[in-house]
Amino acid sequence: MPDGLAAARDLLTELVGEQAESWDRTGQLPRELLVRLGAAGYLCPQVPTVHGGLGWDSAGDGEFTAHVGSLCSSLRSIMTSQGMAAWTIDRLGTEEQRRDLLTRLTGGELAAVAFSEPQAGSDLSAITTRIIRDGDSVVVEGTKTWSTAAAYADVVVVVGILDDGGAGAVVVPTREPGVRVERIADPLGCRAAGHADIRLTRVRLPATSLLGGGGQFLPLLVTTALAYGRMSVAWGCVGILRACLAAAGAHARSREQFGRPLGSHQLVARHLADLLIAEQAATRACEHASRCWDEGSADQVLATVLAKHVSATQAAQGSAIAVQVLASAATRDGHTVARAFRDAKCMEIIEGSNEMCQLLLADHVLATK
Amino acid sequence: MTELGVHDATVDGGEVEKDILRFLEAQTKRSWDPQVDLFAAGGLSSLFAMQLVVHLEQTYGISIRGADLRLDNFRTVANMVALVHRLRSAAGASGA
Repeated sequence: MPDGLAAARDLLTELVGEQAESWDRTGQLPRELLVRLGAAGYLCPQVPTVHGGLGWDSAGDGEFTAHVGSLCSSLRSIMTSQGMAAWTIDRLGTEEQRRDLLTRLTGGELAAVAFSEPQAGSDLSAITTRIIRDGDSVVVEGTKTWSTAAAYADVVVVVGILDDGGAGAVVVPTREPGVRVERIADPLGCRAAGHADIRLTRVRLPATSLLGGGGQFLPLLVTTALAYGRMSVAWGCVGILRACLAAAGAHARSREQFGRPLGSHQLVARHLADLLIAEQAATRACEHASRCWDEGSADQVLATVLAKHVSATQAAQGSAIAVQVLASAATRDGHTVARAFRDAKCMEIIEGSNEMCQLLLADHVLATK
Repeated sequence: MTELGVHDATVDGGEVEKDILRFLEAQTKRSWDPQVDLFAAGGLSSLFAMQLVVHLEQTYGISIRGADLRLDNFRTVANMVALVHRLRSAAGASGA
């Protein structure tokens, strides 16, 4: 595990404190907290040290992400977005773009990534956002939807189609003329994660804003960018499960019904076993995928999809179990377990829905077994 | 990320081609012609393209980034061999 992981976990525990409930209820994270965490490199810990990052490996980043996920999934979602933006810049950008942008992303600037459009969700081949090259500049035109963290972001990595039909990712500062960021009111989960729609109307930017000059293969560009997001969501779901396990365990020990603790009623005890199984299964899937990343193994591609799918589905089931164990104690907005229940459901949709992950896994079977 | 590590840039193209064909065969349980379009109808998925990227990076100590993430570089085994040679000589020239 990387140096500084234990200190980072302690710091986050202290900084979040008891505030996750009020962040969930108001739908807002304190901007100064995000900037502080960003400037310390904690929002995208895998960025190499030469670019101002912490240079953590996937396993270390994962454990940290799980810890933040156990405290507050909205804050964890901000990390997912910042990390995905940084990863996309790292993979797609030129050396100069990496140096400039990654330094900014570890220096306090906040970032988001925008893939989805009103008519392009799971089917990203249907995106219509245009990136037109015009001499020394590019002009971006389109509408993006459900971009996590965009409401806080200084820059958004926007995926679009180039004038020649190829794909590209362009880094759009949200303060530019023609950029309108509209926060989505009352999302089901991760309520303070700053989900927003983004309207881009003839946004003119320097040509150097186009990562690597563009021209990447769209499915490869998307798979590359999503890979980090999937790992981050997967570990975040491990955190959701750990929070549920702690809450359900404590409740089942202390709450008495029919003259004895809940945990000594067998039907409740089974819930506790199922919750532990969910947390352990998700953890193992994530640990395996992170190990593949850190070893540079080609198996990481499949392991990432598998980890995302296992963790998201286990978190959705496990959080529903936790609500059942805590019953009325958890059926109140803002409660750790109530948040887990809503947040986990969203994790079955984001970064590749359950069904898209299943199709990818099935494709793998058909192509290789 | 661009250090050559233990891999010798002087290994000939025939070896690289053989290695990529071996990887493809092991992964897909079928044999491939070096010139065939791997991603044409009935061919490989975009997820597999990503596996190829990681495999080539790990095996040859290269870094495939930016504009090199275009489909043409992975469309055939022959194209991948050319990509590996280009990136290895670029890394060698930069003194890595």
